[in-house]
Amino acid sequence: MAESCSKAVGNISSMNPPAAEVRNLYKSFGDLSVLKDVSFSLREGEVVSVIGPSGSGKSTLARCICRLEEINSGEIYLYGDRIDNGRHSNRDIAHLVGMIFQQFNLFPHLSVLENLVLSPIRILGLSRKDAEEKGVALLRRVGLEEKRNSRPRELSGGQCQRVAIARALSMNPKIMLFDEPTSALDPELVGEVLDVIADLADSGMTMMIITHEMMFAKEVSNRVLFMDEGKIVEEGTPVEIFSCPRLPRTQLFLQRMLVHFGRELTEADGKEGCDRVP
Amino acid sequence: MSLDFSAVSPYIPMLLAGAKMTIQASVLSVLLGSLLGTFIGALRVVPFAPLRYIAAGYIYIIRGTPLLIQLFLIYFGLPSLGLNLPAFAAGIIGLSINSSGYVGEIVRGGIEAVPKGQWEASKVLGLSYVKTMRFIILPQAIRNMLPAIGNEFVTLIKESSLLSTLAITELTMVGQQVRSVTYASFETFILVGIVYLIMTSSTSFLLQYVENKWKVA
Repeated sequence: MAESCSKAVGNISSMNPPAAEVRNLYKSFGDLSVLKDVSFSLREGEVVSVIGPSGSGKSTLARCICRLEEINSGEIYLYGDRIDNGRHSNRDIAHLVGMIFQQFNLFPHLSVLENLVLSPIRILGLSRKDAEEKGVALLRRVGLEEKRNSRPRELSGGQCQRVAIARALSMNPKIMLFDEPTSALDPELVGEVLDVIADLADSGMTMMIITHEMMFAKEVSNRVLFMDEGKIVEEGTPVEIFSCPRLPRTQLFLQRMLVHFGRELTEADGKEGCDRVP
Repeated sequence: MSLDFSAVSPYIPMLLAGAKMTIQASVLSVLLGSLLGTFIGALRVVPFAPLRYIAAGYIYIIRGTPLLIQLFLIYFGLPSLGLNLPAFAAGIIGLSINSSGYVGEIVRGGIEAVPKGQWEASKVLGLSYVKTMRFIILPQAIRNMLPAIGNEFVTLIKESSLLSTLAITELTMVGQQVRSVTYASFETFILVGIVYLIMTSSTSFLLQYVENKWKVA
């Protein structure tokens, strides 16, 4: 069991340049302060999961990185380029970051394939033929090639989310952000979406995944951040966080999650795997 | 009393010609009014406050004053600024501007009914504000708006009767002419009313058809 802790892929090499870097980020909505001095970096090829209770600021953090939210102070860099100063167009950001939403946000008036070719044609300047070829290839990748002419409303939630992932990939982003990608799904549809995300992780995509799927976070991530009340309170390898959480707050959160999701997490690795000093 | 349509019946072709003019004026005005109204409605939601206020002020004035006064201002008022418009042009412009105020509010409502997630998804896919509006928001908003736009079209057909005050020979004007020749007021305006009813109900029917068709799509 000791080697499971040292599987610590977390050192995915600090030599790679940070794909995304957040420094001293503050964000509030009116009087409600949501992010309080958050700093972290996402290295190229790294898969980071963000866990924590609702309202802890996880989603807001992801939304700030893809510029869906204006920040109050702090700095956000993507590949060394500061992007929080309003100098970048939506197009510039879309080349770097793809975002997956809890509610999919597919375009309901367009077919599945049209959802996938819109941005490549309008933003990347691809010909319709090239964009469709690429779109079909992406649909094949998420196993939905035969749904190319369907409308989003004809698909299950899981299929919608897989289309949304293919759509995000159609812009060739370097980083993918997932904002609770399975939280709106019926339980039996969660697996198919997680499989697609895991495939993407295996392909070396740089990813940040906000999730309540603890088992999945544990398997797919190099690093796990635990957020609470607007701060990153603990971070480490999956084993460090899930098997030997340092802080009482992290332990409490995980305990509550385990009550809901069974005891697989700890039983799989056991506390004896910990080589951390609590 | 008894109704006698025989005096009026020779003038039915004239009434139909008037109806044709009414249709022309209504279709032109609804097209121009919808174009202008879509623009005004889009300004109402633009992320730049001064433009929003201008559009809101425009809608406030248009909806707060009678169409008849707007027509008079354009036809009788503008010449004092040196702008003499032919009656038909003045009528079309007046109706279009009036309609744009109402369409503007319908468009704003339609746009605001599109979920926020559609804006967000468009943004992260790199679409600019204008492209998002054009490819994502308006196509959905128009579907939301269709029933209200249909009502507006029907209203406009009826209100086009005010063009008779500018001596445009549309249906109501022709009705007045027929009445002054035949003295059969009741019969004439019953006929006129029936022709309006036919125009408004076929418009409603057509729009209902389009609406159903789009829903499936």
